[in-house]
Formats: sequence, C-alpha cells, structure tokens
Amino acid sequence: MKYLIFDAGPLINFSMNGLLPMLEKLKKEFKGQFIITKEVKREIIDVPLGIKKYELEALRLQDAFNKKIIQHADLTEKEIDELRLIRDRLMQVANNTFKTKKGYLHLIDKGESAALALSILMKKKFKENIPLVVDERTTRMLVENPDNLKKYFERKFNAQINVNKKNYQEFAEFKIIRSTELAYVIWKKNLLEIKDSRALEAMVYALKFHGCSITDGEIEEMKRLVR
Amino acid sequence: MIEGKNHILKILEGVKLALDEKNYIKLKNLSNESIEHASIHQDPDVISITVLIYALSKLIEREKDCKENCQPSESWSLFFRKFKNNIIDMTAALQKDNSEKFRNEVKANRQLLENVSGKLKEYISDVFQKARINKASKMYEQGISMGKTASILGISIWELAEYTGSKPEEISITVTLPISKRLQLTKELFEL
Repeated sequence: MKYLIFDAGPLINFSMNGLLPMLEKLKKEFKGQFIITKEVKREIIDVPLGIKKYELEALRLQDAFNKKIIQHADLTEKEIDELRLIRDRLMQVANNTFKTKKGYLHLIDKGESAALALSILMKKKFKENIPLVVDERTTRMLVENPDNLKKYFERKFNAQINVNKKNYQEFAEFKIIRSTELAYVIWKKNLLEIKDSRALEAMVYALKFHGCSITDGEIEEMKRLVR
Repeated sequence: MIEGKNHILKILEGVKLALDEKNYIKLKNLSNESIEHASIHQDPDVISITVLIYALSKLIEREKDCKENCQPSESWSLFFRKFKNNIIDMTAALQKDNSEKFRNEVKANRQLLENVSGKLKEYISDVFQKARINKASKMYEQGISMGKTASILGISIWELAEYTGSKPEEISITVTLPISKRLQLTKELFEL
C-alpha cells in the first residue's frame, strides 16, 4: 500500500479553491491512501465547523473524511502512544534549534510535528519513506534547508542566529511536495477537464494565493519544464 | 518578571504619546516593533498587547466612521478613555516590576471589550479579530510556522492562510529544492 501524509495547509488550500473534488480523483491516480493526523483533522474539520465563514468548507472536508478520501492511519493504541512521543520529541528538537540573543525560537506546533512524526512511525512500520504534502514555509525549510531558514531568521530579525546543527539530522530524511505539485498531477492527467493551456498556471497561482509557499520564479520554472 | 520588560515599557511609553496625539501611524509602527519581541518570547500577554496596539491604531484611524455608523460618541469616548487609562496602569505595573498586576491589567484590557454593548462591541470585536490575523501574518512572515502562529494568536489556520496568501513573499532563500526535483518526486509518487 502507498501512503501520502497531508498537513492541514494543502487540504485547506484545495478546499478554499474549490478543488476538493480533485482530491478524490488524485487518490484514484495515486492508488494508495491519503493520511491525516488527528491534529490535522481538528484544524481542517473540527475548528472550522465552529466558524460560520468556513463551515461549508469544513462540511465538505468532513464528507471527504467520511468517504475515506482522506483518513486516519490505521494505528494500534501502542503506535498512537509512540506517535505522541515522537511528535513531542520533534517539536522539542525543532524548538531548540535556532537561538536569538533573547532565547530559542519556537517554530512549529503540534500539527506540523505530528505530521512529521507520522511519517517516521510509518517508515518504521512499512520500511519505506512516506512523503508529506506541506504548503507552509517553515516546516519545509527546516526539513530541506535549515541553513537557509537560519539566514531567513537573520534577515527578518536583523540579528545573528545561533544554531544547534546536530538537530538538523532529525529532519533530514523527510520528503515533501506541495499542493502546487498536486496541481501539476491534476493538469497532467487532465483531471480538471478544462482544456486550456492556462489551467496549470491558474491553479498554481490560486494555490499560492491561499497559502502555498512557492515563488513566482518556481512557477515560471515549472511552466518551462512542462512545456 | 516579564521577559524583555524594558522593550515593552518603551513600546507602552510610545503608545501613550501616540494616543495623546491620536497618531495611528505611530501606533501601527509600535505594533510592528513589538511583534518581533512577541515572535521570540511568545508571551501571551505581550502578544495581547501587540494585538491591542494594532487594533487601537485601526480604531483611531476609523474613529469617524465608527462614530457615524455604530455608536453614540459617548460610548466611544468612554471606551477610548478606559483603554488609555489601562495602558497607563500597565506601564506603572511594569515599572514597579509587579508582573501580577501587569498581567491583571492585560486581562482587564480584554474585559473592556466584554463590557461594551451593541454595534460598538461588534465593531470593536471585528477590529480585534482582524488585528489578530494581521499580527499572525507578520509572525508567520518572520518564520514561525503557520500552525504555531495560529495557535499563539488564537485564530484558525484558515484565516491565516487566506491572509498570508494575499500577501505572498518573494525571497529566493525560501526555495529549498529545485522545482525539477520536486516534480520528479511527484511523478514517481503518481507513476507519471
């Protein structure tokens, strides 16, 4: 069985852009399971069900959850306990990696840590690296290029940042794609059923403008690569 | 002891002056200054102050509009006066190193809103919620994750995603993997 773990951001993004029907089609193409943690379910369904502005989107996501288009991983009680321990450890490590003169920067929360922890747990279980879909910038930078994240903080805080480089290795193994790469699959497989050459760019910009961290340069490069 | 006490005191002193002048631009700048401190320390009370300074700047900026649309000027003036006194009390508590009193004053500030009624309450609540989202977007921009930021500011990731998406940032160091490699990974996953 193949698995893809979703953080909250990409699902919220798909929902806000009216792309949720694409998720079901993507899952068929993927021939595996789209997995979420309980923390992500809370963010994408339970919390917005209480906010009138997002209630309809939450109901749609709840429907997708009920239909198992997105689902929880099938874990035993023991594995759930282990997941919690890994989540807390990752959060602790991440939040003790970058230090300003005034103290450590607390970067990530339970939601992001839990998604990463699930990937570790499933790797242990299935002996395979399980990729994640993450739209937000910080987790992705922490995983793929923590030195750039250090530079980013130095630029933003206009101060020197000290790092515990040994912590980097905790995050080095994860594989990340974004909602914009899923848009590429939608376009490539013509799942959107819009025969217009602008469809990919339109989708990618729509996702960018609802929180996916992708630069204009990357979008241009993507367009060039798929030509 | 409140971490970064001197910084907060400096900000609150600035707020008092800006309030006397009804200078909302100065207030906005002070709020932006304090968000950096809030991003590092993540002290809930300092975050509350950051939000309230920004909300205050918006309330002053739109004072005329508010008076015309939602409330007799009496309620507005009373709210504004109490708000100002509260800032003075917060400053005094900090100067005396009385962190308990300081935190009580921050709490009292939140309660000021609870005691307002009618359209003015709705209006002020709306301004505060927008202020929280604005400050969250600044915190995310500084590199704190979306989940962490939303949780600190007490908003949903939905609200944050909508707002930050409308103000996308272009910094090349945020590109951490060539798009060709990420697309390759995606192709392998979907057997394209």
